[in-house]
Amino acid sequence: MQEVMRRASRHRSVALAVVIAAALYVLVPFALRGNLYLMSLVVASLTIGGIAVAWALLGNLGGLISFGHAAFFGIGSYASAILVMKSGWPIFPAMLAGGICASLAAVLVLPALRLKGPYFALAVLAYAHIFRIVATEWKALTGGAGGIGSIPRFPVLLGFDFASKTGAYWIILSLVLAFALIHFYVRNSDYGLALRAMHDSEEATRAVGVNSLLLKAMMLFLSAFMTGMVGAFNAHYINFLEPDYAFSGLWTMLPIVAAIFGGYRTITGPLVGAVVVYLLDQLVFKAVMPIGHQIMLGAMLGAMILWNAGGLLPAIAGWWRRHRGPLAPHA
Amino acid sequence: MLDVRGLRAGYGSINVLWDVDLHFEGGRLTTIIGPNGAGKTTLLRAIMGQVACTRGEITIDGVRRDGTDTWRMPELGVAMIPEGRMVFRDMSVQENLLLGAYPVRKHAGLDQKLALAYARFPRLFERRAQLAGSLSGGEAQMLAMARGLMADPRILLIDEPSLGLAPVIVQEIFGLLGKLKTEGRTIVLVEQNTRRAVEIADQVYLMQGGKVVLSQPAKEVNLERMHERYFGR
Repeated sequence: MQEVMRRASRHRSVALAVVIAAALYVLVPFALRGNLYLMSLVVASLTIGGIAVAWALLGNLGGLISFGHAAFFGIGSYASAILVMKSGWPIFPAMLAGGICASLAAVLVLPALRLKGPYFALAVLAYAHIFRIVATEWKALTGGAGGIGSIPRFPVLLGFDFASKTGAYWIILSLVLAFALIHFYVRNSDYGLALRAMHDSEEATRAVGVNSLLLKAMMLFLSAFMTGMVGAFNAHYINFLEPDYAFSGLWTMLPIVAAIFGGYRTITGPLVGAVVVYLLDQLVFKAVMPIGHQIMLGAMLGAMILWNAGGLLPAIAGWWRRHRGPLAPHA
Repeated sequence: MLDVRGLRAGYGSINVLWDVDLHFEGGRLTTIIGPNGAGKTTLLRAIMGQVACTRGEITIDGVRRDGTDTWRMPELGVAMIPEGRMVFRDMSVQENLLLGAYPVRKHAGLDQKLALAYARFPRLFERRAQLAGSLSGGEAQMLAMARGLMADPRILLIDEPSLGLAPVIVQEIFGLLGKLKTEGRTIVLVEQNTRRAVEIADQVYLMQGGKVVLSQPAKEVNLERMHERYFGR
C-alpha cells in the first residue's frame, strides 16, 4: 500500500516536472516575445543560475566552498572561442570541449583539496587570479588584454536560429536543467550518500571504505566542467571576450549570492535564487536606485540569511507545510 | 592473523606508541586495557591507517599493511567501530547502515544485510528513518556496531563500546560481543571496563604510556593485582 502511494506520488512529481519544463520552454519565450530586453535579462540570470547550480553541487556534495569559479567560467569561454575561431570547430562540440578544459584546469587545483573550509576557498581564489593573469599574458593564444572580438554566434540548425534570444534561452535553459538533473542523480546515488556523510566527518567516512579524496576531486571536475560549459555558452552569446570580463570576480560572487539566497542545500534553489536575485536587481532595484543599487541586493541577501539561513526555497517549503499540509519532497 | 611489530606512531611531532608488539589470533577476542592516554585508541587508528606509522610494521595474514589507505581497510575485511558518538549525525539510521556496506556494493545482498542488522538490533528498525543525531547514547552505540558489521568484516576493531552507557546497555553490548566471537571473527576490543573485558577475552594486553607492559591469556589475569600495580595511585 505504502509502495503504491509512493509510486503515485513519484508519478505526480514527474508529471509536475514535465509541466514546469514545458512552461519554461514554451510559455516564457511566448510571453516575453518582442521584449528583447527582458529576454536578455532572463538569459543572463540563467547564465548566473548555471554557475550557481555548479557551485552548489560542489558545496553540497563535496563540502567545498569555492571563491574561484570565475576561473572555470573564463577558461571554458576562452577554450570554446579559440577552438571555434582558430581550429574551426563547430560551436556545440567546442562548448563541450570548453567544459572539459575547465575540468583539466581543475586538475591544477587538486593540491588544494586537502585544505578545508575557508582555506580551500582562498586557495581557489588565488588560482583564479593566476588563470586570469595567464589569459592576459599569453597573447599569442588569447589576444591578451585586448580580448577576442566577433566570436561566432550560435548556428542555424533545422531552420531555427539559435543565435536569436529565444535560441540562446533554450540553450542555457537546457544546460541548467541538465545540471540540476545531474546534481539530483549524483545526490541519490551511493556516491551521493558517501559525499553527504563527509559533511559530518571525513575521517569516519574514509573508515567505512570511501575514497573521500577521489570523490571530492570528481565533484570538483564535474562542477568545473559545468561552469566551463556556461562560460562557453556566454562567449558565443556575447561574442566578445577579454580577461578582465571572462575572469571577473562577479562570475564567482553573483552565483554564490544566488545560491545562498535560493537555498544552496537544494537542487533548484540556486537556479530560482539566480532568477529572483538578478531580475529584482535589474528591474526593481536599478529603477529605484540607479546608482549603487547593489546596496539593496546586499541588504536583501543579509535579510534572507537572518530570516532563514536555509534560503528561499526551504523557507517556502516550510511555510507551505505549515499552511497546506505536506508537500512532495522538494528537489 | 593481525600482527603489530615494533610499531611507533603518533601525531606529527608528538609520538604516542613506542615500539609496541601485539599479536591478534584469528577467531579470538583480544582486549587492550590500560589507563587514559596509554595509546589504545591510537593503536586502533594506526591499524586503520588513520595515524602515520614511523617505524615497525603491521601485517594481516602475513602481508604488510602499514601505509595502506584507510578507505582500503574495509576491502581487506577490517572494520573499525568507533565509539557511538561517531555515527553520521545528519543522516538517517538506515543511511548510516547503507554507508557501512559502501565498500561491498553487492546490492543483491544489501537487503539481507539490512534485514540481518535490524534482526540484531530491533531498536534500530523502529528508528530507521530518524536522524542518527537524535538517538540516545546506547542506540548510537548500537548503530555504530551495526554499521561496522554491514561489511561483514573478518577483523573488528572496537573502541570503548561501553563508554558512558547504562548498565543494561553495557550488558547487551557484551552479549553481542560474545556472539560475534562465536561467529569466528577476530576481535580487538579496547575497553575501560576492565572486568567485563577480561571476562569475555581470550588474550589481554595492558598498555601504559604508549607501551605494552603486560600480555597474558585472559584466564591467568589477576585483576586485583593488575589494578593495584597499574591503575592505582
